[in-house]
Amino acid sequence: MNFDLTEEQQLLEDSVARFVADHYALEKRIKLANGNLGFSAEHWQTFAELGWLGVPFDEEDGGIGGGPVESMVVMEQFGRGLVLEPYLATVILGGGVLRRTLEGERRAELLGPLIEGKLQLAFAHSEEQARWDLEDVVSSARQGGDGWVLNGSKTVVYNGGNADLLIVSARSSGGQMDTDGISLFLVDPKANGVEVQAYPTVDGLRAAEIKLTDVKVAGDALLGAAGKAWPIIEVVADEAVLALCAEALGGLEVLYKDTVQYTQERQQFGHPMTDFQTVSHRLVEMFMEYEQCKSLLYRATMEYAQNGHEAARTLSACKHLIGTAGKFIGETAVQLHGGMGVTEELRLGHFFKRQLVIESQFGNADFHLEKFAA
Amino acid sequence: MDIELSADDLKFRDEVRAFFKAHDYKPGQDYAQWRLDWFKAAREQGGWDVPKWPTAFGGPGWSPTQHYIWEQETARANLPWDLPFGVGMVAPIIMNYGNAEQQERFLPDIRARTVNWCQGYSEPGAGSDLASLKTKAELSADGKHYLVNGSKIWTTMAHIADWIFCLTRTDASGKKQEGITFLLFPMKQDGIEVKPIITLGGSHSVNTVHFTDVKVPVENRIGEEGKGWTYAKGLLAHERTGLAGVSRSLVALEKLKHQAGTVKRGNSSLLDDPSFRAKLAKLEVDLQALEFTELRSLARAASGQQPGPESSILKLKGTEIQQRIAHLTMEAAGPHMAPWGGIHVGPKFASGGTQSYLGSRAFTIYGGASEVQKDIIAKNVLGIRTQGGSN
Ligand SMILES: Cc1cc2nc3c(=O)[nH]c(=O)nc-3n(C[C@H](O)[C@H](O)[C@H](O)COP(=O)(O)OP(=O)(O)OC[C@H]3O[C@@H](n4cnc5c(N)ncnc54)[C@H](O)[C@@H]3O)c2cc1C
Ligand SMILES: Cc1cc2nc3c(=O)[nH]c(=O)nc-3n(C[C@H](O)[C@H](O)[C@H](O)COP(=O)(O)OP(=O)(O)OC[C@H]3O[C@@H](n4cnc5c(N)ncnc54)[C@H](O)[C@@H]3O)c2cc1C
Repeated sequence: MNFDLTEEQQLLEDSVARFVADHYALEKRIKLANGNLGFSAEHWQTFAELGWLGVPFDEEDGGIGGGPVESMVVMEQFGRGLVLEPYLATVILGGGVLRRTLEGERRAELLGPLIEGKLQLAFAHSEEQARWDLEDVVSSARQGGDGWVLNGSKTVVYNGGNADLLIVSARSSGGQMDTDGISLFLVDPKANGVEVQAYPTVDGLRAAEIKLTDVKVAGDALLGAAGKAWPIIEVVADEAVLALCAEALGGLEVLYKDTVQYTQERQQFGHPMTDFQTVSHRLVEMFMEYEQCKSLLYRATMEYAQNGHEAARTLSACKHLIGTAGKFIGETAVQLHGGMGVTEELRLGHFFKRQLVIESQFGNADFHLEKFAA
Repeated sequence: MDIELSADDLKFRDEVRAFFKAHDYKPGQDYAQWRLDWFKAAREQGGWDVPKWPTAFGGPGWSPTQHYIWEQETARANLPWDLPFGVGMVAPIIMNYGNAEQQERFLPDIRARTVNWCQGYSEPGAGSDLASLKTKAELSADGKHYLVNGSKIWTTMAHIADWIFCLTRTDASGKKQEGITFLLFPMKQDGIEVKPIITLGGSHSVNTVHFTDVKVPVENRIGEEGKGWTYAKGLLAHERTGLAGVSRSLVALEKLKHQAGTVKRGNSSLLDDPSFRAKLAKLEVDLQALEFTELRSLARAASGQQPGPESSILKLKGTEIQQRIAHLTMEAAGPHMAPWGGIHVGPKFASGGTQSYLGSRAFTIYGGASEVQKDIIAKNVLGIRTQGGSN
C-alpha cells in the first residue's frame, strides 16, 4: 500500500503548481476570462512545451504515457488556480475519444497537433432533454452518399466556440434511451449547417450551443464503428468525472485554507473570529470533508487505473461526495467571510462559483448517489 | 385555538385583491409615474402605502391578521419596487426619536417614495461588531455643524441614494456603545465618494462610501449626541425579527414546482425524480411549520403581548428556507445553471435561478450574520451567556 507519488509524478505536480502560482493570480485570471478567447493561447503553448497536453497519450503517439494518476495530478493543480484553458474538453474528453478510435495515419494527423497545442477539441454530446443521462441522444445520423448527414442540437458544450474540431454524438440507430446505436463523428464547426452560439459561463469558462442542420460529413468522419460508441462515451465520461473531481479537490483546498487564514486575521469583538467555537468547529468540519474527498478521489482514481469502467460505482461515490462537500465548504467559506464572501474581490467567490459549475457537469450529487445505489 | 379567517378578514382580503387588480401595471405605462401613482392610490385607501406605520403617522392600524393577509397577497402581486431603507428603517427612527420639525421635514418625501435613502452603519472594521464603528463626527466650535470623516462599507444603493442615515462616533473615550451619534445628510455633495463593490454574479448593489470633511448641520442629528446606538438598536431588533418572508417563500416554492415540471426527465419530468421530490417535500414541511411559527408570533402580538420566543427564530429559519429554495431552483436547471451573461439556454428559469442562489448567500450575512443572531437568542431567549463577544 502506497499513496505517494512517483518521482516523475511529483515533478509533474511541482511544475503545474509552479505554473499556477506564477500565472493564475486572481487579476490575471479575470483578465483572461474577460478576453476574446477566454483563456491564454500562450499558456496553451506552454502546456504543450511542458508535455502536459500529452499526459494521457501513449509514447508512440507523442505523449508521455500517463494514466489516471497523472491526469489527477494535473487537474488538481489546475483546480487550485481555476485554470481556464480547455484541458478537460481537448485532452481528457476530445483526446480520450480520438485515442480510442483513430488508427494509422489519421491518428498521427490529429493526435500530433493536439499534443503540440495546435488542435483544440470539444465534446458535443449532451442534449437538453438528457440532463445528465449519457445514453439519452436524439440527434440523428443517417447515411447519405458516401458519408453521413447529421441533425440535432447539443447543449452547454464547453469550449464549443473555440474548438477547431467538434466530436459530435448522434444516433444512427435505436431509440432515444438505447445505449446501442450511438455514433461519434468528427465535425468541422465551420461546415455548412453547423451553428455555434458561444457564451461565457458563470464560473468564467466558455461554452456553446451547437445546432446541426443537415450537416454532411465524409465517411471517415465516423469515429469507431457505427452505432457502437457507447463504451467509448462511458469511459470518456468516467475520465471526465475523475478530472472534475480532481479539479474540485484543488479548489476545495483553497476554499478551506483561505477561510482558516481569513478568520484568524479578521477581528471582531476584540477577538480573531477563530476564538468563537462555532467558527473554529466549522473550519474543522471543512477540513474533515476535504480530507474525505481526497481519500475517495484516490480510491476512485486507483480503482479506475486498475479496473477501468468497472470502477464506475466508486467514481459515482466520489462525484457525490465532492458535490455535497463542495456545497458545504463553498457556502461555509462564503458565510465565514461575511460581506467579503459575497464579493468578486476575493478569489474565494470565484472558487465557490467553479464548485457550483463542477456540480452541474457530468451529473450532480443526487444523480451519482442514485447511480451508486442502483 | 382557531385558524379560520373571520368574515371581516375575508372582506379585507377581497379589498386588497381588488386594489391590486385595479392598480396593476399595464404594459406601455411609464413605470416611474405608475410607481408614484400606485403609492398615492395606496395612501388614499387609508395608509396602505405605509402598512407598518402607527396610525398617528398615517398608518392603517391593521390587526396582525390583516398584516398577514397583506403579506400573503403582496407575495403574489406585482408591486412597484421599494427599498426598505426609507419607509421601513429610517422613518421609524425619525418617528420615535426625531423632533417634530424633523418629522415634518423628512416623513412626507419618504412616504411618497420621492427620496431614496441608504443605511450607513457597517464599516470595514465594524461588521458584526457594529458598535466598534469609527467614522468620526466632530462638532464645530460654534456648535452649528458636525464635520464627518471616515468610511462605510456594504452601503446598499448608496449610488442612487439621495440621503443617508449614518452612525458616527462623536466620543471615543467611553464604552464603544456610547459616543455614537445618529446623523442624516444628503449623499450628493462634495466630500462624499461612492465606489461600487461587485458581488457574486457581477451585480452592483453595495458600495463603499468615503466621507471627507462632510458638513452636517446639527439640525440633522436625531435625538441626543452619543445616544445613536440606542436608537439604532431598536431598529436592528425590528430588522432582525421582521417577518420570515413565509408568504414569498410559499409562492417561490409553488413556482419552483411548476419550473421543475417543465424540466424533462426521460418520459416524465424532474418532479418525478425521487431525490428532487424528497427535497421539495422537506422544504414544504419546514415551510408549513414556519408559517405557523409566524402566525403564533402574530397572534401573540395581536393580543398585545411581548414577542414570544418563537418570533426570534423567524429570520434565521426564514432566510435558511429562502436559500434552500434558491439552491433547489439552481439544481433544477441542471447543466443549464452555468450559461451566463444575459444568455438564455435551457429552461427559462435557469440563469435567474443561479443569480438568485448567489444573491441568497448574503441573506444569512446582512442585518446581522446568523451566528450573531444565535448569540442573541442564546442570551435573550435561553438566558445564557456565550463566550463569543457578541452579547
Ligand atoms: C461509555 C463511556 C465510557 C467511558 N470510559 C472511560 C474510561 O474508560 N476512562 C475514563 O477516564 N473516562 C471514561 N469515560 C469518560 C469520558 O471520557 C467523559 O465522559 C468525557 O471526557 C466527557 O466528560 P463528561 O462526561 O464529564 O462531560 P462534560 O465534560 O461535562 O461535557 C458534556 C458535553 O458537553 C460538551 N462539551 C464539553 N466540553 C466542550 C467544549 N470545550 N466545547 C464544546 N462542547 C463541549 C460535549 O457535547 C460533551 O459531551 C467514559 C464515558 C463514557 C460515556
Ligand atoms: C448584500 C449586503 C448588503 C448589505 N447592506 C448593508 C447596508 O445597506 N448598510 C449597512 O450598514 N450594512 C450593510 N451590509 C453589511 C452587513 O450588515 C454586514 O456584512 C454584517 O453585519 C456582517 O459583517 P461583516 O461583513 O463585517 O462580517 P464579519 O463581522 O467579519 O463576520 C464574518 C463572519 O464571521 C462570523 N461571525 C461574526 N461574528 C461572530 C460571532 N460573534 N460568533 C460566531 N461567528 C461570528 C459570521 O459567519 C460572519 O458572517 C450588507 C451586507 C451585504 C452582504
